Amino acid sequence: MIKVENLKKKFVKYKNKKEKEEFYADNGITFEAKEGEIIGILGPNGAGKTTLLRMIAGILEPTEGTVSFDGLNYKENEIEIKQNIAYLSGNTKLYDTLSTYELLKMCADIYGVPSEKIDKRIQELSKILNMDSFLYNKISNLSTGQTQRVNIARCLVHDPKYYILDEATTGLDIISSQIILDFIKQEKQRGKVILYSTHYMEEAENICDKVIMINKGIVINSGTPQKIKQDTNTTNLRDSFFAMIGGVSNEE
Amino acid sequence: MRNNLWNILKKELRELFRDKKSLAMMLIIPIFIPLIMIGMSALFEMQTNRDIEEYNKIGFAYELSEEEKEIAKQMNIEIVNGSEEDLRQKYDNAEIDLYITKDGNKYIINSDGSDNSSYAKNMMESYFNTYKQYLQGEYLAENNIDSNQVFNIITVEENVFEQENFFGNYIKNYAFLFIIMAITVSATYPATDTTAGEKERGTLETLLTFPIKSKDIIVGKFLAVSISSIVTGIISFILAIVALLLAQNMFSIYEGTDIMFSASSMIFGIVVIIAYSFFISGLCISIASTSKTFKEAQSALTPLTFISFFPSFIVFMVGLQTTPILSIIPFLNFTMIFTDIAAGNINLLNIALMAISTIIYITLIFTYIIKQYKTEKVLFSK
Repeated sequence: MIKVENLKKKFVKYKNKKEKEEFYADNGITFEAKEGEIIGILGPNGAGKTTLLRMIAGILEPTEGTVSFDGLNYKENEIEIKQNIAYLSGNTKLYDTLSTYELLKMCADIYGVPSEKIDKRIQELSKILNMDSFLYNKISNLSTGQTQRVNIARCLVHDPKYYILDEATTGLDIISSQIILDFIKQEKQRGKVILYSTHYMEEAENICDKVIMINKGIVINSGTPQKIKQDTNTTNLRDSFFAMIGGVSNEE
Repeated sequence: MRNNLWNILKKELRELFRDKKSLAMMLIIPIFIPLIMIGMSALFEMQTNRDIEEYNKIGFAYELSEEEKEIAKQMNIEIVNGSEEDLRQKYDNAEIDLYITKDGNKYIINSDGSDNSSYAKNMMESYFNTYKQYLQGEYLAENNIDSNQVFNIITVEENVFEQENFFGNYIKNYAFLFIIMAITVSATYPATDTTAGEKERGTLETLLTFPIKSKDIIVGKFLAVSISSIVTGIISFILAIVALLLAQNMFSIYEGTDIMFSASSMIFGIVVIIAYSFFISGLCISIASTSKTFKEAQSALTPLTFISFFPSFIVFMVGLQTTPILSIIPFLNFTMIFTDIAAGNINLLNIALMAISTIIYITLIFTYIIKQYKTEKVLFSK
């Protein structure tokens, strides 16, 4: 289980050359994600989704609040936690000079997969994600869809407990997006904890068990998609969101 | 998990050796060192030979005897005849280096005493000594006296102590300056690529999600950049030795002296090169880590090439002597100790102080970079 309690992140931005201003990208976010659950983190650009997921993935240090994974926290158990996390985002790029095989082997080595099992695991993933035709090709020569499949394989290579997926389908075509959505559903069936951020409300409505709606770093509603729609008396999450923020986009 | 440092190092080296620009920096720059050394040697030799050829045009305001002409020929003197007025005009027009006038048995060397004419003046003094000896020999022979008995009443021999070849030392010290520059340039590109470059390409975020301690990431990157610099440094040093071997046989300015490094000088020379490679790699990574983009990192690192070169240049110009204090001053210490080593003066205390101070500097740099990697500044400073 992932437990997020009162998570806050303060940044400083410059209003002009001399004046600076502090602001909270996330301000007191609390939720829980249990085994076999897909939690959707929804909100427009600049809502604080990426900052929140980066804090949960251990890339960013929170200003306040805690994140725990089955009772373990980053202060004391950073390496153990990261060993069980897969973080995939639109920003996580792969090493162009390596081949798919070399990258997966490197990741497996880093995550501590026993060396005698690495080749077998890579071959399995290659079959599942249909990567046989480009397993030994350099990543720089792959198409966007193929690169995304390698990215998924990278996340699967150590069979993690927790998935943190930040706008993983943004910019992808329908086929590549579907590969990721199928993968998420499959991992849910295997009892994994999945945090999934997106600004595609329809996508979230289809796959998420619970949804946390964020605007300007604050949770404006949370619960099952059904509950949110009922709360706002709307028929889809997009309308629910606009109903909650008063019909005005907060995108800066 | 314990091998994560090795995994990072492997990844960095793989990227480094597959990148054409990094390879070019690492392997092509050293090729210029022997070319520069051979070129400099050729220049020194040309300069030396030009002295002989350039200052041998001598004006004579009188007719030379056959004997005088023969001596002048042997001494490679170019004879220019003319009246005193003509010769003075030619001297003023720099067509001749000096001119000789004669008043009975008195010969007068006419010049303005400038540096240009001093070589010609020395040459003419030697010419007149030879001519005087010839005339004395003729006189003694006419009076049935064995000239050898007179000339060899006393004999003088010159015992020249074996000394360092000026050009040899010069070329060796400059070779080290070029090696330092090659190492610095070689460290700059991979340091930029593994830090700011990785940030710009978006792979640093991927790396930070891995279960790896910041310390392992930094040390892995540092070792990869250091290996690249050491490879450049050692190739440069080997090529410098090859250039010295070639120069020794190619140029007469090195004749009679051994300009080659001794075995111990080579070993300690490599120690200095390795110490400098570690130092500059740490420094480059610490500077590049704070940069937002590849371009910004390159701009920030450019002054380092000059900073690495100028203290060394000053050491040569001023002729500073290595002391324990100077042995711990970065940049200065590497050049001073290498200069000592090249001259065969191996001072273990100074070498140890250089090594220890370098380790301390690297540790301080590491502490700073690891702290940087623990904050979001390194990843999100855009």
